[in-house]
Amino acid sequence: MHINSKLLLATALLGLSQMTHAALNVFACEPEYAALVKELAPDAKVYSATTALQDPHHIQARPSLIAKMRRADLVVCAGADLEIGWLPVLQMKAANARVRDKSKGLFFATEQVETLDKLDKVDRSMGDVHEKGNPHVHFDPNRLLLIAKALMKRLSHVDPSQSVHYHQQYEVFEHKWQQAITRWQQKAIALQGKNVIAYHSSFRYLFKWLQINQVDDLEPKPGLAPTTSHLAQLLKSANNQRVTAVILTSYQDTRGGEWLSKRAKIPMVVLPMSIGGNDDSQDLFSLYDSVINLLLESGQ
Amino acid sequence: MTAKINVSKLGLFTVLPIAFVANVQAKNPQDSGLNISGVLNGYYQNSEKVLSEKAEGFGLGETELALSGAVDNAFYGKLTSVIESADGDTEFEIEEAFIQTQALPNGFSVRAGRFMSDIGYLNNQHLHTDAFVDRPAAYRAFLGSHYFDDGVRIDYIAPTDIYWAIGIEAFKGQKLQAEELKGEAKSVGAYTFYNKFGGDIGNSSSWQLGLSYLRNENGQAFAAEHHDDEADHDEHEDHHNDEHEGEHDHEEQAGHNHGASFTGKNLFSADVVYKWAPQGNYKYQHLTLSGEYFRLTDIFLAEEIEHQSELDKDHQAWYISGVYQFSPQWSTGVRYGRIDTYHLHEEVLESASLKETELQLSYHHSHFSTIRLQYTHQDGTEMFLPTNENSITLQFIMTLGAHSAHQF
Repeated sequence: MHINSKLLLATALLGLSQMTHAALNVFACEPEYAALVKELAPDAKVYSATTALQDPHHIQARPSLIAKMRRADLVVCAGADLEIGWLPVLQMKAANARVRDKSKGLFFATEQVETLDKLDKVDRSMGDVHEKGNPHVHFDPNRLLLIAKALMKRLSHVDPSQSVHYHQQYEVFEHKWQQAITRWQQKAIALQGKNVIAYHSSFRYLFKWLQINQVDDLEPKPGLAPTTSHLAQLLKSANNQRVTAVILTSYQDTRGGEWLSKRAKIPMVVLPMSIGGNDDSQDLFSLYDSVINLLLESGQ
Repeated sequence: MTAKINVSKLGLFTVLPIAFVANVQAKNPQDSGLNISGVLNGYYQNSEKVLSEKAEGFGLGETELALSGAVDNAFYGKLTSVIESADGDTEFEIEEAFIQTQALPNGFSVRAGRFMSDIGYLNNQHLHTDAFVDRPAAYRAFLGSHYFDDGVRIDYIAPTDIYWAIGIEAFKGQKLQAEELKGEAKSVGAYTFYNKFGGDIGNSSSWQLGLSYLRNENGQAFAAEHHDDEADHDEHEDHHNDEHEGEHDHEEQAGHNHGASFTGKNLFSADVVYKWAPQGNYKYQHLTLSGEYFRLTDIFLAEEIEHQSELDKDHQAWYISGVYQFSPQWSTGVRYGRIDTYHLHEEVLESASLKETELQLSYHHSHFSTIRLQYTHQDGTEMFLPTNENSITLQFIMTLGAHSAHQF
């Protein structure tokens, strides 16, 4: 009897310690942050709320997402109000206090770096713009590295038992990523100074990094779908400004872009917005490879 | 994009008028700020409708002003005031004034104050997010359009892969009180119990299923032998266009009443929602199918009536609806619903029913503005006999300030 209870206690303690070492449950708002978590914490259970084929501005706070957030230890999102239409509802309904505090279980990528195009004054007549700046920061490799470092620290804070492991993983990632940046920059020299028309400011950071000029936007105002009159205007300016490509993301409607591409006789390129946006984009490295390859191919 | 202002700089009450007059600039991060939002809602309708508060001609729907934000790291609070204009009277009403816990462990949360009950599918959603001009007849008849009340809720969400939420609520229940009660009304009159389940089917589809029960301690009407003071029976015959006519005259004289038209002891309901978007990308196209069924039982307490079993009838109501957004700026929807009710006429139960078919087309300039054209066909008997079977409503609903939430 005595032995039995000791055995029971031992089993219980073992169970408890296994529980604390159970895989970290991470809820990512976008696939790029799910991928980044995977780089730093390969053993974590990572769930991405959206795919690269879904516009993260327009997501439903659906039951499955509430259930996923309910069990999360860490929530990783772009922030800067990109998820304003659905993240607050999820937080309210998931009743998970662990992922509500921005110094603990809630991590916003855009709060780790300086965003571009911050606005002092925002009103609705300007369309769907974000006061906190452009949230699509994951296409600047240098900003992404800063985010990775901050995320590594956060992972260590949320799951201190694996702290050493997360540091090691970060070192490996940083080394590989720095090498890749050099490779990408050399490869993309040919793209410097090119003029493009794009849909929304989705690739604001990519274009700035690769020194591509977005001379026009398919959207008449951020968040509004292309109109015929706006497209007609773009057609005129496309010829004047020597535009080399019309660029869209994997979740945007192609009709406006196709129309312009055909009339102006410039290629239309659909770039993966994130991992899974095309077959080649399997992780952050192959996503960048694919984007640069597609841009280079369109220029030939 | 949100409009937030610093609460410490401006007192709460100076904020209210300023929000509409001045263009309040957003400065603070989400968690320390106050979210202010307004809803403007106006319409033109060519004819009155059965069980609807909207009058013929021009009118204002529910015009809303809401304040919300985190109180501290443990509580969230929201205040929603509604200004309504009907029959020449302007009414100011508090629709929501609640606090909710944010820091309870293990999936529990508590909400207290005045809030919308979580029974059914539509009830916890604001009227301005609806795809049609009015709530389904089921809601207008049994829940006073949408049931919000003073009370408390405990909600639990299970740590399961499939979404599963369970909750219980207790409310004052005055709005759901029967017109003729035996004895005094209980001060805590309504209790609810609900279960919600949900999940995804692949990347493109999501579903939710709900089962709810509402027990109304004050819902059973007392069917006494003598009904001399009930002068409204004859009026039922010709045109009972207004839910307030007759039924509640004893309780509330001034203004109008948002209580339920039909009450009973038990309200059972089941709801199902299915949403689809290509690859789950809701921006360009999506489809929402939903349906709800309600059964209201133990309508009368009739110990003194001879043919008791005669009174053993249930009210029932249901609707199904399909809304398709076929481009970022256009959506269309169709809804069919009916209610079957009983009323007491000289100790005999008489039945009455209403069938409603609605068609709507909406233009959304952005996701903050909607202009809607709706055609409604009502086919009713007895007290639901419409003055006009067909009606047309043109409506606008626009939101200002803080980004409204996209609830499923």
